[in-house]
Amino acid sequence: MREGKSVKFNIQQQQQSGHISQFKFAKLLDPEASWDKDQLGDVLHWIRQVVALVCGLLWGAVPFIGAIWIVVFLVLSSGIIYGYYSIILKIDEEDFGGHGALLQDGLFASLTLFLLVWILIYSLAHF
Amino acid sequence: MASLLSSFKYSDSLAVVGISICTAFLCEGISWLLIYRTSSYKSLRSSIDKASKKLETMKTGDSKGLPGKKSKTKKIDRVETSLKESSRDLSFSKIKSGAVVALVLFVVFGLLNSLFEGKAVTKLPFSPAGVVQKMSHRGLPGNDPTDCSMAFLYFLCSISIRTNLQKFLGFAPPRGTPGAGLFPMPDPKTN
Repeated sequence: MREGKSVKFNIQQQQQSGHISQFKFAKLLDPEASWDKDQLGDVLHWIRQVVALVCGLLWGAVPFIGAIWIVVFLVLSSGIIYGYYSIILKIDEEDFGGHGALLQDGLFASLTLFLLVWILIYSLAHF
Repeated sequence: MASLLSSFKYSDSLAVVGISICTAFLCEGISWLLIYRTSSYKSLRSSIDKASKKLETMKTGDSKGLPGKKSKTKKIDRVETSLKESSRDLSFSKIKSGAVVALVLFVVFGLLNSLFEGKAVTKLPFSPAGVVQKMSHRGLPGNDPTDCSMAFLYFLCSISIRTNLQKFLGFAPPRGTPGAGLFPMPDPKTN
């Protein structure tokens, strides 16, 4: 009887944690969700890092050569961030300090991460 | 595994990255030991977060033209002063561990320098501009601007790995503190 109750409790806990993860990911694409400044800043930061990683891998693998590709990365990653918060989340940027504040979250770290990955993949794969 | 790694012409870059990752964890470990787990840091951090949020709310209310503007401005000034004081206290609290971490980074940089001095550890896929080239071509023979020294690679590793590690572990400085702007370096007092 007790084992039955603990198994049921574990199943309920797993369902709850599953629901919580579903909720968190659902919020990332929900235009009706309410955002705290810190939460949104963190999400934008990590999106920038993922874009930096993917671009660095791609640019290094092809390889794309020339400083122009740094500009391409900056424009692309900023465009993705802008598109995410204005089109998908439909956020009023005035509530979060304006476009500048939102676009600068994670910018420098993503630029250095992108350069690091691009340089490493380029050197290791093509020499 | 070792023979696979040594088959790469620029396998030294992996050593630099590996050492940077270990150093980043070591520095954050030292910072946690000396700063982050202390009750004074936690209370300062919490008061900065609260003051920032309060200031935001008050400024939003102020911009909507609510009545009693003079007293509102005075209140905003008081909260801003309190925020600056808390930020200053937070900076002071990090001085001791900052010195230890700076020493660790200095030693690691010296070690890397002795290992890779005069050697191009990686190849740049672009020709860097003047100031950047001074760092990227530091101590290297020849005129090829795409040869990259340990110093530049270590710089990139430090910024990217440590900033993201601090963010991941929740040790990044609060958004309300000065210096958390366009170029947020890893927490300067732990550098």
